[in-house]
Amino acid sequence: MSSYIPGQPVTAVVQKIEIQKLRQGDRLILGFSIGGGIDQDPSQNPYSEDKSDKGIYVTRVAPGGPADVAGLRVGDKIMQVNGWDMTMIKHYHALKKLTKSNEVVVRLLVTRKSLEQVVRGAMGFHKEEH
Amino acid sequence: MTGLLSALFHAQLRTDYRTSLVVCASVARHSVANGPNNKTQSLRMEIMSSLQMDSDLQKKIDHEIRMRDGACKLLAACSQKDQALEAAKSLQTCSTRIMAYMSELQRMKEAQVMQKITRRSSDAGPLDDRQPCKGKVAISDLRIPLMWKDTEYFKNKGELHRCAVFCLLQLGGEIFDTDMVIVDRTLTDICFDNTIVFNEAGPGFELRVELYSCCSEDDYSAGSTPRKLASKLSSSLGRSAGKKLRAAMEPGACPISNGGASPLLLPVPSVPGPKYHLLAHTILKLSHVQDNFRTHDLTISGNEECSYWLPLYGSMCCRLAAQPHCMTKQMMSGSLKVKQLGGEPQNWTKVHAVLKGASLSCYHRLEDVEANVEPAFTIGINKETRIRAAEKDPDSKGQHICISNQYGGDEVTHTVTTDSRDETHRWMEAFWQHFYDMSQWKQCCDDLMKIELPSPRKPPLVTPKQGSLYHEMVIESSDDLSSTVSDILARRMQELELRSQLGTSPWMTLFEENIQKSAGRPRPCDSRLLGPSPCSPHRPPRSPMSPQRYPQLGLLSSEASLTSDSDSHCSTSPCSQKHAWPDSNFSLLSSSPSRLRPRTLSLDAKLSTLRGRGYGAYQCPCQTQPSSIVNPLQTPRSPQSLCSTQTTLSCSSSTSSNSSSNSEGNHSLDLTEGVPFSRPSPARRSLRNLRVRLDPRNWLQSQV
Repeated sequence: MSSYIPGQPVTAVVQKIEIQKLRQGDRLILGFSIGGGIDQDPSQNPYSEDKSDKGIYVTRVAPGGPADVAGLRVGDKIMQVNGWDMTMIKHYHALKKLTKSNEVVVRLLVTRKSLEQVVRGAMGFHKEEH
Repeated sequence: MTGLLSALFHAQLRTDYRTSLVVCASVARHSVANGPNNKTQSLRMEIMSSLQMDSDLQKKIDHEIRMRDGACKLLAACSQKDQALEAAKSLQTCSTRIMAYMSELQRMKEAQVMQKITRRSSDAGPLDDRQPCKGKVAISDLRIPLMWKDTEYFKNKGELHRCAVFCLLQLGGEIFDTDMVIVDRTLTDICFDNTIVFNEAGPGFELRVELYSCCSEDDYSAGSTPRKLASKLSSSLGRSAGKKLRAAMEPGACPISNGGASPLLLPVPSVPGPKYHLLAHTILKLSHVQDNFRTHDLTISGNEECSYWLPLYGSMCCRLAAQPHCMTKQMMSGSLKVKQLGGEPQNWTKVHAVLKGASLSCYHRLEDVEANVEPAFTIGINKETRIRAAEKDPDSKGQHICISNQYGGDEVTHTVTTDSRDETHRWMEAFWQHFYDMSQWKQCCDDLMKIELPSPRKPPLVTPKQGSLYHEMVIESSDDLSSTVSDILARRMQELELRSQLGTSPWMTLFEENIQKSAGRPRPCDSRLLGPSPCSPHRPPRSPMSPQRYPQLGLLSSEASLTSDSDSHCSTSPCSQKHAWPDSNFSLLSSSPSRLRPRTLSLDAKLSTLRGRGYGAYQCPCQTQPSSIVNPLQTPRSPQSLCSTQTTLSCSSSTSSNSSSNSEGNHSLDLTEGVPFSRPSPARRSLRNLRVRLDPRNWLQSQV
């Protein structure tokens, strides 16, 4: 995960995940749970590296659900939802952005530690080549 | 004449049966002198029946007086504040009931007296005024919004100003009270969850809702009342009770001679202790009945200077529903002959008809009614139906009744007849009564309103102020009790520590010896104990770990998914937190369970005082105690729980995040899982909910 330096823009390696919502009755579900938010206590987040990170994290992914199929994993930090920023948002508002009833597809930008490692590894390898 | 009547009046007040009978006899003799007639008989019957009613009322009054004495004694004897508040509430309720019964008694007397006078003078035949049917009236989900000013927050920095409130609901002679709720400035509404059902209410009912409140932070012993409060409380209940008494006795009150056994003007006993004052009231009538929530205005008494003052917004929301008997009960039933529409004139079908609600249901046989079989056909009886009796048909014994309904543009007429003239008359009478009821109950007869019977009351939550930690926990049987205890302590401390975020505490030395051994020198490692720490090389990568961690985490999420709509409700209850991340932190403590003795004296109280304190340099021991971290990870605490939590996950993951299904999810969690410390009883769970709700710092999880 990217480290957060106050005042500096946050940089992170992100992955695009496109989730097709599943209709169940009169609701559209995505099949995962989120935790976090600027109004929440970040020290209780089990997934964040930096315990002062108030971002939105994925805490649970229903196996076989739309999110699982799309490639979302537990512990991912959601950076954006359909263009809306999720790094500085209240929990309730994050929920609202994900569960808009007139949207059938949500495009998330998520980041996870393994991504950065992969990239770093690739870069290192690249460097080694040189 | 008047002398006799007044003697009768007074005698009846006394419920001295012998006297009343003597009076009764003298009345009889008096009328015998005037000439015997049926009226004397009926008069005597009336007196007897009214005596019966009086005795019922008197019994009720006696019962309430006994209850009230009991409440006074309890109030005098109890020492705890919440007990005192409850006792004062029952005292208030009993007093109000007594006054209501008294005034009811008096009203009945007057009615009888009036009736007798009118009868004797007018000598008219029995009045044929139709009485509308009675019904059930239910009020539920009372909510009274509050309007706190911001100065409340800034001015009162210290203790919260608390008031205990409850509602008294009065309809006719029945008075019910709601549960007591403690209100302070963290609440935005006063909510009463009770559903109160009044069984015999006429359409002209008046449901009086009164909100009583009492300041709940004073010392109630008379001696040590601070002077300012003493002056406030000097407008004592005695005076206001007296005012109420006078108001109650107002309508047509004649001065009651106190020659009877029990004093009629009951002064409320002044008992040292909390006293409730009337804060607001309103009267609800038939026009307020709707199958939906509505807002009503409150009349507020009292002002800001009173100790029991609460800033009410001025309105009250509730759901007031009514079920008149004409909609729920069979008003009339019997056998009828219905002429087939479009058939031969002489083709009559014999049916068993039941008049209920807005229809006349016709069944082929009587047994079908019991068997809940669908009726053969149904004739609508509503406000637009027209019923008339046709002329006597020479070839049938009874009269025809024509029932006409308008369906769209067509008029449909059913013709029914009975076997005898009397039957026809009875049916017509029933129809007229039904129409009258519907006109009286108005909107309640359009559709049947649902009234949920109040569920059996939960045992009252007595929250011990100084309960020890162990009162709140359910310890499931496990192999090693001492490690269980230490786990409980560890998690408790962890959860409270994380909440308080900063500071250290003296009692942490209890644990510190272990930490010191393991930590060596303190190294700032995010100074947070939870979660995967990057500095720990022994932390296994996430994916292989997930099968073990996932279900437990999922447990938390699905429990927490309850609260996606509401805020911080049961989301991270301490219990769920404990088993959610058992692998992190304090596992080192489990390695030396013998060090921790269970402390019985208010560890909880100490823990809660730490909330404001700083979070001390409780360094992350993870990097130096790899073995102890890894071990608990690998050894599943309760293997059977993992499977069960998986299943609960799958069934709750598909539920959407609305509160009803979430509550189901919660129940299923509680029933199916076997994870230790995870099955709180409902009382404890709601206690925990309350505490979690009061604590603003949570980490909510919501399902999408």
